[in-house]
Amino acid sequence: MKVHVKNWHAIAQWRWDTGASDADDDGEGDVCGICRVPYEGCCPSCKMPGDDCPLIWGECSHVFHMHCLLQWIGTAASKQQCPMDRRPWVTAERKVAKQGR
Amino acid sequence: MDARLRRVNKEISDCKNDKSSNISIDLVDNSPFHLIGEFDGPEGTPYEGGHFKVDIIIPESYPFQPVKMKFITKVYHPNVSSASGAICLDILKDAWSPVLTLKSTLISLQSLLCSPEPRDPQDAEVAKHYMTSKSSFEETARYWTQAYAGGSGKEVRGKGRADGPRDEIAMAGLERAHVEKFQAMGFDRTKVIDVLRRLNYRGANVAQINDDKVVDELIKS
Repeated sequence: MKVHVKNWHAIAQWRWDTGASDADDDGEGDVCGICRVPYEGCCPSCKMPGDDCPLIWGECSHVFHMHCLLQWIGTAASKQQCPMDRRPWVTAERKVAKQGR
Repeated sequence: MDARLRRVNKEISDCKNDKSSNISIDLVDNSPFHLIGEFDGPEGTPYEGGHFKVDIIIPESYPFQPVKMKFITKVYHPNVSSASGAICLDILKDAWSPVLTLKSTLISLQSLLCSPEPRDPQDAEVAKHYMTSKSSFEETARYWTQAYAGGSGKEVRGKGRADGPRDEIAMAGLERAHVEKFQAMGFDRTKVIDVLRRLNYRGANVAQINDDKVVDELIKS
């Protein structure tokens, strides 16, 4: 059976609060530096974005898909460092979502 | 779709859309995991005017493993093997990070051409040449750029343009007078060039190496 969508009506949209403002957008959009898929998409091993494929924040302020970052940290080559700044990776406590998003 | 395939395809199309970096990435055959990257030699270096090609292999576990790159175009540089094109650069080895991309890695290669690291050489003979006489090294690097990288750069002093028959002496970074001196003793020209290159018979080194040492090496070779 084939289904053709004739019409759809969005009632809400969501976005991860990465702390970056739209002004920081360098035209590339907010993508995970490891898989290059938007944060709001999911990592390559997941099918469903959102809570099943969350983001992870480092103390250093860098953000990745959690699964991507854990896969990198799991390799010996990573030396347990953040891929962006090579500082030892320390997971930050989940930030409290800012108001007004 | 395979994560590696998705990321590589995205990188290739991003690079095609970006005209400002002057870096191109193209498929070799139908596989996106074997590519050729190309960039121009940086201005103000002996590689200026040259166009350099790099062989790119995307490993199975990319981007968690570094991309494999080597020069296809022959390059005279302390961190590039003059024979195989193999490259000594930290980010291609243990300093790799998955946030690096094909484009950023090619830009790093371009900047490696600007700033050789002779203390961490890939080609020890070229590195010795660089440390003995930088001006002689640069002349040779310029000659190679003209001969191999299609450089239309300035004429190399006293050696003419490199697009005619290649001058083996200029290629080895030696002085004609030195080669002719040992040739006059009856040694074969190719052997003389080979031995003098191995001994790094250049600049201030010439005074350190006496003729007997050279003759010894020539007899052994």
